[in-house]
Amino acid sequence: MSDSTLQPTPPAPTMGTADTTQPPIVVNPELVELSVDGRKLQAPKGANLLDVMLEAGIEISYFCYHPGLAVVAVCRQCLVELKGSPKLAPACQTPVAAGMEVTSSSPRVLEARRQMLEFTLVNHPIDCPICDKAGECALQKQYFEWNHETSRVDHAKGRKGKKVDLGPRIVLDQERCILCTRCVRFCAEVAKAPQLVIANRGNRAILTTAPGHPLDNPYSLNTVDICPVGALTDKDFRFQVRVWNLSATQSVCNGCATGCPCEVHHHRNRIYRLVPRRVRDVNQNWMCDYGRYTYKAQGKDRVTLPLVDGKEASWDDALGRLASSLGGLAGSDPKSIGMVLGADATNEDNFVAARLARSFLKLERLYLGAEPMGSEGDKILRSSDPNPNRKGAVLSAGGALKSSEELARDLEAGALKALWVVGDRLYLPEAAQAKLGGVLLVVQATHPSALTRKAQLVLPACMWPEVDGTMINAAGRVQRLRAAVRAPDAALPHWEILTRAARRLGLTLEHSSPQAVFEAMRQELPELAQTEWGRDLPPVLLRFAGSRG
Amino acid sequence: MEITPHAEGELPIEPSVINMGPSHPAMHGNIHIKLTLDGERVRDAEVNIGYLHRGFEKECEAHCWQQIFPYTDRLNYVSPMLNNVGWALAVEKLLGVTAPERAQYLRVIVGEIARICDHLTYLAAQVMEMGAFTPYFYLMKGRDWLWDMLEEISGARLTHSYVRIGGVAWDLPEGVKEKTLEILPKVEGILDEVDHLMTRNRIFLDRMEGIAVISGEEAVGYSWTGPCLRASGVDYDVRKAAPYLVYDRMDFEIPICSTGDNLARYLVRLEEVRQSRRIIEQALAQLPAGPVLLDDRRVTLPPKAATYNTIEDMIAHFKLVVDGICPPKGEVYSYTEAGNGELGFYIVSDGTGRPVKVRCRPPCFMGMAALSRLIKGHLIADIIPTFDTINMIGGECDR
Repeated sequence: MSDSTLQPTPPAPTMGTADTTQPPIVVNPELVELSVDGRKLQAPKGANLLDVMLEAGIEISYFCYHPGLAVVAVCRQCLVELKGSPKLAPACQTPVAAGMEVTSSSPRVLEARRQMLEFTLVNHPIDCPICDKAGECALQKQYFEWNHETSRVDHAKGRKGKKVDLGPRIVLDQERCILCTRCVRFCAEVAKAPQLVIANRGNRAILTTAPGHPLDNPYSLNTVDICPVGALTDKDFRFQVRVWNLSATQSVCNGCATGCPCEVHHHRNRIYRLVPRRVRDVNQNWMCDYGRYTYKAQGKDRVTLPLVDGKEASWDDALGRLASSLGGLAGSDPKSIGMVLGADATNEDNFVAARLARSFLKLERLYLGAEPMGSEGDKILRSSDPNPNRKGAVLSAGGALKSSEELARDLEAGALKALWVVGDRLYLPEAAQAKLGGVLLVVQATHPSALTRKAQLVLPACMWPEVDGTMINAAGRVQRLRAAVRAPDAALPHWEILTRAARRLGLTLEHSSPQAVFEAMRQELPELAQTEWGRDLPPVLLRFAGSRG
Repeated sequence: MEITPHAEGELPIEPSVINMGPSHPAMHGNIHIKLTLDGERVRDAEVNIGYLHRGFEKECEAHCWQQIFPYTDRLNYVSPMLNNVGWALAVEKLLGVTAPERAQYLRVIVGEIARICDHLTYLAAQVMEMGAFTPYFYLMKGRDWLWDMLEEISGARLTHSYVRIGGVAWDLPEGVKEKTLEILPKVEGILDEVDHLMTRNRIFLDRMEGIAVISGEEAVGYSWTGPCLRASGVDYDVRKAAPYLVYDRMDFEIPICSTGDNLARYLVRLEEVRQSRRIIEQALAQLPAGPVLLDDRRVTLPPKAATYNTIEDMIAHFKLVVDGICPPKGEVYSYTEAGNGELGFYIVSDGTGRPVKVRCRPPCFMGMAALSRLIKGHLIADIIPTFDTINMIGGECDR
């Protein structure tokens, strides 16, 4: 994909659909009728009965089933009665057939499930107070909803490995493990790295890795998410915060151009983790380990105050300096000013930047600042494009943007007297970087870099977990970012910096909010006509988020 | 505004507008009355409430069902036990559970002690604000004895939070039963003393009799309940009309007055103290043995020893503390007889650990709605005694 042309994309879906979970793919469209507890349901023939029941809002307990993984029916927690079948059957392993009569709430079924829970709890350690999963634990939830009987066991619990180091990112507590094998299946099926295995049998069964083969695949942290108990824990998140104190804000990972829909979990303006949201067409249920840890950049080593010639200054002084040094040049020689749009900035930021540059300052040289393409990607989720919004930047700039190679050539040719950079992703060869010394350099950045050290004017910008906006992923899907935390000190969103700068330059570029920018952009760009800004979703306190676990 | 006709040779009197409160020693709990006076006579009165608004109902939406008890303590803060009981019954109705019998008796006992405290406080304020300071101290002394009992039972003198969803926090401490039985006759002794001092006192009667009269029909129209309504001859007491807890096993009477004036409201409360004593004594005599808290893992915390030693109880404890009790989706209105009348809670659950909506029907709010009507046409000096009979409690009225 070249930098300057927008590839033909599938019709951009609306924000509404991008944000919500979608029903499972229908393989066989033939609908059949079945009844569950007397309630008539329609479902595709051969569909997973457990899926169909959950879809219909029928409550049922389960541990080992996961919509993204193969069915093994090892936990026996979703047992139902099927008419004509003498034994109870696990719903997750039952394909829907015409005329099927399912009983999910008879005393026999409930007693069977209750007994399974009792078995599962026999050897479970009394760890809730020190367990990271407590509060979002499936075992807690299922017990509380389906059993709530007291213990009848009076012998000592089995002892196993309490803190087994499985790999660089994950610690295992074998006592807490309920042997559902979700993590084993995940590694084999999704990450294509079968690094986990259940060893031993019966009471002594444990989850483990082969000697010398740590759990280190680039998707390993998904096993922590899908673990129904606190057996697998993330070393980074372990003992940092109690989960029920976290608030979840829906946003999109900025780790690469895939743009996995994620939840930002934060508490008191600090981000603690990113977890995937389930969107079938983008990330199914998963996220890569690299993407999960991108939140760390938010909290450290930021540009927090405007810098004028390397010295901290107020916004007023910085923008005054910008107006005085750029204003004249824009009037006399707009061709000598270049503006770099950011493949890491939102559509709204880039739209305002392009509008300011083209329509108001009459600039001709617009470039795209993007990290160079990486390798092939990994055929799972990681894209070969490490930039979250390359497509969006090009689209919202209204098409043609020069590449950074062209920028390097222009710099070396001495064609530029000033350069205004939006975002942190401008990568230049050394020869071109050396030429920056002779150019008036304005950088809107989130983090200090080689570029900000050369700049006369550094303007602190918000990072993605701090902004509302939209981005377009590699597949051409428009997705919505939502601000989870406040930006440090004086940092502002790019669009707002640009709007304020325009005001100081005597231009009227009036945008009051990212939503207003989006609406203006939608009017102008037919590609976005079908998209919507989407609902406001205030952060959800996990404590009261309803059915977790 | 109509001008009072004046006698020959006198200047016409123009109505004057005077603010009474919100900062006024007799406007307990900050009430503002904008009075339009014609000399000493009240022509018009605009009653403004809300100076003690704390957002009780909204605050409930951010807390677990069981965490709301301390907030209910602060509704009618003179009888927090009754509010505790009202809230517990509302949530239990939503959950479809009933507290054990002993807990129900204990709720009746602490509730009736609280009712006596409530009425003693009313009587004390009523007579004190009409100049009778000595009976005030007598009555306060009685209230203090009862508060000593409540403190022994709950550990707190004023904000008890003693009641739990599914029962009460713990059983009666040793000796409280005997002490309570000792104290009650002494409290009634005080009451008799005050009765002798005040009820036939000419000065007192002149300011209470025939003042601020309201008919039963009109009082019902104002949605009045409680002692004020019964003073207007309407026989409505939730304890009799829709018995809850174990009130139907108690032998007690509902005092009624027919005159609907200030004196009637005073007399009804005076007599209710005596009836509450009867209830407490019967309840203490009937008090059955047994648990004081429901044994249901979905509602009440497991015993500590079990929490620490079994995973089942640990999970139950954990879920109850972190997520809260989760009643089924639905809505209920539950009502009890509090110190000032029908205390109602309308609560809506979406199945999570906290309410979606809580609406509290504060009994004295309705009394305040009629205050303007009651004092109109009377003298300035009648405002305070009339306001007293409503027994407005800021924490409850303004919530």
